[in-house]
Amino acid sequence: MKNLALYRIPIAYLLFYVIAILVTGIWLFLLSQGLDSSEGFNALLLEIIAKPEMKSLHNFVEVAAPHMFAMGAMVFVVAHFMLFNTKVSQKRSLMLSSLLYIAMFGNIFAYLAIMFGFVLSGWIKILSILLFVGLFLILLGMVAFSL
Amino acid sequence: MASVVFAMLLYLILDVFVHGYVLGWDVASIHTTLYGNVETFEEPILIDSLLLQVHIDLFMGIFSLLILTAIWIRFCVEKQVLTWVLHAVLLSALLAPICLILAYLSSAFFLYAWLATYCLWHALALFIIVMIFRKFRSP
Repeated sequence: MKNLALYRIPIAYLLFYVIAILVTGIWLFLLSQGLDSSEGFNALLLEIIAKPEMKSLHNFVEVAAPHMFAMGAMVFVVAHFMLFNTKVSQKRSLMLSSLLYIAMFGNIFAYLAIMFGFVLSGWIKILSILLFVGLFLILLGMVAFSL
Repeated sequence: MASVVFAMLLYLILDVFVHGYVLGWDVASIHTTLYGNVETFEEPILIDSLLLQVHIDLFMGIFSLLILTAIWIRFCVEKQVLTWVLHAVLLSALLAPICLILAYLSSAFFLYAWLATYCLWHALALFIIVMIFRKFRSP
């Protein structure tokens, strides 16, 4: 295939877009929990852990449905670039991609556990976000390394 | 392949209408949407709504451009032009939503930066679509 090296350009930009999407996503989540109020960031985190904002099933589905498609597609697109790399083993890529999908489902469904009272604290949502973002950043690092 | 490029063309056109309806069709109305108007008692747009638009813009922008650039790289023969256009379209589409949120948070300078980058990435994406269709027509 001609111009093969040029495919590196959109892939490299993709990494920055994903970081921007992750940042705006976290920002949106924090706003939904009351970030724009006068209290500080640490106080907000403690409040999310102690008493997360309650959501209706309608609110949950409204957020979960587009994210199921968008996050699934985004993880797939970024992870599939690892198929063409020669610097990281396929086994590691496969393991990371699988973990990322598990973290993604955990992240999307975490609020269900809070809504139905299985978990009273909001730590599960914060933990699932951190896990998903952390694993995604590792995957982005691996793609950047193999460019 | 022609169908997906045609779908991208329609997306780019409709995206202009979406932003026109959400933010406004001219600089004055966009300014009012972002900062409100004391004289007409208009409130500025909520940060949640604007940030959601930015979040969606980033996702839709990269997905549409990944499809278009992947097809164009396959067909294009002028490597020098290709490289410059790729950098310009991908960078401007990334900067446009960032400028929009900066315009809301800081100053109206970023409003003009958003307008420039938004128009640039749409114009370049249209250029890529035209080049791909020209390639489809030639044997």
